[in-house]
Amino acid sequence: MLELQGLSRRFGDVVALDDVSFSVPEGRMVGFVGPNGAGKTTAMRIMLGVLTADAGDVRWRGRAVDAEIRRRFGYMPEERGLYPKMRVLDQLIYLARLHGLDRADATAQAQRMVELLGVPDRMRDRTETLSLGNQQRVQLAAALVHRPEVLILDEPFSGLDPVGVDVLSGVLREQAEGGVPVVFSSHQLDLVERLCESVVLINHGRVVADGRIADLRAADPRRLLRVEVADGAGPDGWLRDLGGVRVLEPLPDGAILELDEGVSEMAVLDAARAAGSVRHFSVVQPTLSEIFRRAVAG
Amino acid sequence: MSVWTIVSRREFVERARDRGFAISTAITLVILVGIIVVSAIFDRGTRFDLATVGEGSREVARDVAAAARLLDVEVRVAAFDDLAPAERAVDAGDVDAVIVSGERLLVRGEPNAQLVALIQAASIQRRTRAALLEAGLSGEQIDAVLAQGPLPVESVEPVDPRRRELGTVAFVGVLALYGQLFAYGYWVAAGVVEEKSSRVVEVLLSTVRPSELLRGKIFGIGFLGLLQLLLIAVVALAVSMAIGRLEFPSGALEVAALVLFWFVLGFFFYASLFAVAGAIVTRQEDLQSTMTPLTIAIVASFFIGIAATGNPSSTLATLASILPFSSPLVMPTRIVLGEAELWEVGFSIVLSVASTALLIPIATKVYARAVLQPGRVKVRQMLRSA
Repeated sequence: MLELQGLSRRFGDVVALDDVSFSVPEGRMVGFVGPNGAGKTTAMRIMLGVLTADAGDVRWRGRAVDAEIRRRFGYMPEERGLYPKMRVLDQLIYLARLHGLDRADATAQAQRMVELLGVPDRMRDRTETLSLGNQQRVQLAAALVHRPEVLILDEPFSGLDPVGVDVLSGVLREQAEGGVPVVFSSHQLDLVERLCESVVLINHGRVVADGRIADLRAADPRRLLRVEVADGAGPDGWLRDLGGVRVLEPLPDGAILELDEGVSEMAVLDAARAAGSVRHFSVVQPTLSEIFRRAVAG
Repeated sequence: MSVWTIVSRREFVERARDRGFAISTAITLVILVGIIVVSAIFDRGTRFDLATVGEGSREVARDVAAAARLLDVEVRVAAFDDLAPAERAVDAGDVDAVIVSGERLLVRGEPNAQLVALIQAASIQRRTRAALLEAGLSGEQIDAVLAQGPLPVESVEPVDPRRRELGTVAFVGVLALYGQLFAYGYWVAAGVVEEKSSRVVEVLLSTVRPSELLRGKIFGIGFLGLLQLLLIAVVALAVSMAIGRLEFPSGALEVAALVLFWFVLGFFFYASLFAVAGAIVTRQEDLQSTMTPLTIAIVASFFIGIAATGNPSSTLATLASILPFSSPLVMPTRIVLGEAELWEVGFSIVLSVASTALLIPIATKVYARAVLQPGRVKVRQMLRSA
């Protein structure tokens, strides 16, 4: 289990983290979400020892994380970074060795990684000559080359095309299935929802929601309806006379609606039928985006 | 293998493999060999061409050549049958003087005073001998009269006869040290900036401590600089010996050893400062300005070092040979020219090592804090922030 306990960090007058605690069991993939500037990168940097915390600590398997334990972590920083002039394979071997692998093992692992990530024909080239997408693959290889026990990735999906997203998703799933706790930050909440069982939601340096996505959804007290009406002039028209109903998210032919207490679903259905032919009408659970918006707003 | 040695190995291998390194090494060697060959051509010992015409001239010329040899001056003698071609040779500058029938000297313009003095002395001795023979003295008596030794010369400031040659060798040494300190110091700074601007430093710092990263970088680059300097020294010595410019043992070997030793002292002193100059900027373009204080220190030391090859005992040279920022470029010269007291050398080394030992932790601290900060960072701020 990877545990963060009471992490706090200030930069001058700015509080970047304020008593952040959460834990990630082995084999679990956790989405680390929050608006820009919420403190995600700071928390990840502290987990990797790139930054120090003013208070609190990071524990892995019950032990406070030190430099020796950290060598077995894999990290992909938000700001991608590789030696531009170094050859891809040499670079991976070098990073694997810094993480404690011996020369033979490092070489074998580096070769395995370039094949796994589909860049074996470029392994003798200088990194700067690769396309950005391929450099991103090498970056991921750099995080994985030493068989990390823990994976921490800061915005790993940003800048990837759909195929790249699939490749990365597959690799991360595989890592989690192998027992590695995987923490990654992302603004692509649909992706987080698809990939992760749990999320940690952070805002202004504080954890505002933490747990299994299914539990967070179930715990959301809001009643939501998805309504689609053909030939309607949009929900604003037929909702006007209906009190206690708000558009949470507009859709092409309708909306996700939030109902206040006391408003019946039937009243909404009646209003919709009066406006046009109802194509879709269902009770829905909030998406991660909606949970996110609510948590951030609240 | 510890982490910093893995880092230093990368620094060494990646740079040694770089084509720019091979080219710069080749250029340095070409320039150095050029300096040695050119100075050999211009710095040849004094040589005169003497011509003889007519009876009695050859004997004088032979005496001149013998006397000149004692002064390390070479005199080549050519015999002419007639005066006319000898005159033409003088006029064309092919010969420096013609002895005509042992009676007069034919020269062009203002002749070389040393040559004239040599010829006059030989001629006077020969004529004196003839006059004494005529006066009835025996050969033995004449020899006894004429065999007067030269006046002993006492100098109030004795000069090492090899001083000139040593000065030249020391000059080459200062030049090499200057280039090397600058180039490899710059490499440390540029290497730090490269890691910062490519942002690979964050990946590295997730598994390497800043102090290890810095130590690995400095040792790797420094070792490469030392090896390159060793190569330069070996080539320079080999070329010098091949063209007969130096004979062992001369100061060259000593200078080479001193240069290598003071490169290590100087490089470690400057390297951590260059690393700081690199850590406080993010772009290579900004590096020039943060390196300026170091550039000034090295260039100033270089000029003092050059001046010291001519005047190694000046107050400035003495002071500069002790202070750590300038001692690498001044002290080797003063040692080679025999002007450095033993305590000065010891003091200089202790001061250099001590100040380096003091600088490295401070520089490491600034480096560790600055290297993750974007943009231009102030050193004072990095020192202050806890």
